[in-house]
Amino acid sequence: MMMKGGNKVLARSLMTQTLEAVKRKQFEKFHAAASEEQANIERNPYTIFHQALKNCEPVIGLAPILKGGRFYQVPVPLSDRRRRFLAMKWMITECREKKHRRMLMPEKLSKELLEAFHNQGPVVKRKHDLHKMAEANRALAHYRWW
Amino acid sequence: MPLNILRLKHVTVVTTKKNVKALRRETYTVDFIKKQIEEFNIGKRHLANMMGEDPETFTQEDIDRAIAYLFPSGLFEKRARPIMKHPEQIFPKQKAIQWGEDGRPFHYLFYTGKQSYYSLMHDAYGKILDIEKHKNQLQAKGLFSEKNKTIDLIGSRWLIKEELEEMLVEKLSDQDYRQFVRLMERLLQSGAAEEEFVQSFRRSVTVQSKKQPIEPVQRDAQGMAFSTSEGKRKSAKAEAVVYEHGSGRIKVNGIDYLLYFPVLQDREQLMFPFHFLDRLGKHDVTCTVSGGGRSAQAGAIRLAVARALCSFVTEEEVEWMRQAGLLTSDPRVRERKKPGQEGARRKFTWKKR
Repeated sequence: MMMKGGNKVLARSLMTQTLEAVKRKQFEKFHAAASEEQANIERNPYTIFHQALKNCEPVIGLAPILKGGRFYQVPVPLSDRRRRFLAMKWMITECREKKHRRMLMPEKLSKELLEAFHNQGPVVKRKHDLHKMAEANRALAHYRWW
Repeated sequence: MPLNILRLKHVTVVTTKKNVKALRRETYTVDFIKKQIEEFNIGKRHLANMMGEDPETFTQEDIDRAIAYLFPSGLFEKRARPIMKHPEQIFPKQKAIQWGEDGRPFHYLFYTGKQSYYSLMHDAYGKILDIEKHKNQLQAKGLFSEKNKTIDLIGSRWLIKEELEEMLVEKLSDQDYRQFVRLMERLLQSGAAEEEFVQSFRRSVTVQSKKQPIEPVQRDAQGMAFSTSEGKRKSAKAEAVVYEHGSGRIKVNGIDYLLYFPVLQDREQLMFPFHFLDRLGKHDVTCTVSGGGRSAQAGAIRLAVARALCSFVTEEEVEWMRQAGLLTSDPRVRERKKPGQEGARRKFTWKKR
């Protein structure tokens, strides 16, 4: 999803720059913090990345189901694969759209990943919105037949 | 009493009109098949004489080769070429007449429709009950010992549905087959008896890794052991020479790999076989590669290196490599462009009018 036009080299370099940026930020925080908090600060960029994506995964999704001429948004369970895909897709679209024109992708992505790691930020908010919508449409759950 | 019901004719239908009525399946009488077998044997001896070989020791493979030599066929479909096989393999197996002169069937389960299948299930269930009864008797006497002689199930599989149908000469449905397998599993669980009965329904499965040809290790002038092999990916062909003792240097077409593959991804592909076997700095590689693009060349070298490493490594590790997918050549190739479409899959823009 990061790749555009088959340019894997560019996508890979963006990812490595992102992870490097994440690591730098964490190290700055580490050196600035007191010794009790130093144990809590996570410095491995890979763990941060995986944990951030896990925090962004929705548990339940909505599917439009046609019934009686109208499309209802019905809450539907999602498979593992779909959840991971949605987390990644939200993260990338959010970084592409909601940034200042001069800001580079690695910088923005690293910022979003750190926020998602702490369960804050726009991507996690989007996940919560989806959950609220699903909870609101709970009554339509019986429209699902699979 | 008219005996017409017993006379089964070998029916050949000559159709003159367009609307053909439903043909009854052609039935082959036992005499007809016997005659065919005799003709086949005589023909086999004639063929052996023609080829100048001994008629007594003329096997089926020899027959196939002789026919391919005497009747060369340019047809692409292998099944349309001339064959000469034993009539048992050509004519489909059919059952003999199931009922006697008075019309009364021989088998007690004839009216179920699938007599052999149901009689088999009945026998298997009877065996289960016998084993349970035997166990109960032993337990009552107190002589019950927990000796579990488990039958070795590794390396064999249950018959598939087609094989079972062929064995019973009856059509089965999927549910019948599943029920049969469940009954067999239950029979195995209840006790380790009736080994022959169970083994008659199992076929062995050849272990896949033994089919991997391992390259022999060669020795060069200085006494250094090495092995060569080839690899292909898309349209790139590579030949790699892996030396047994080295320091992890890789030379591609005479150029160092760091300069030939500036992209990290390709170098990772080269590293993968060594990294998998924990032999990262222990082998030297010299390879030549041509064709394809950057990624295809990396994949081809990876395959060649993995195949060459097989000769320096234990059989178990070869099996691990195979399961990791290091020894399988990637079958993906560029799909051709089709007429009426813009690419292999992309269609032209659809215009409503």
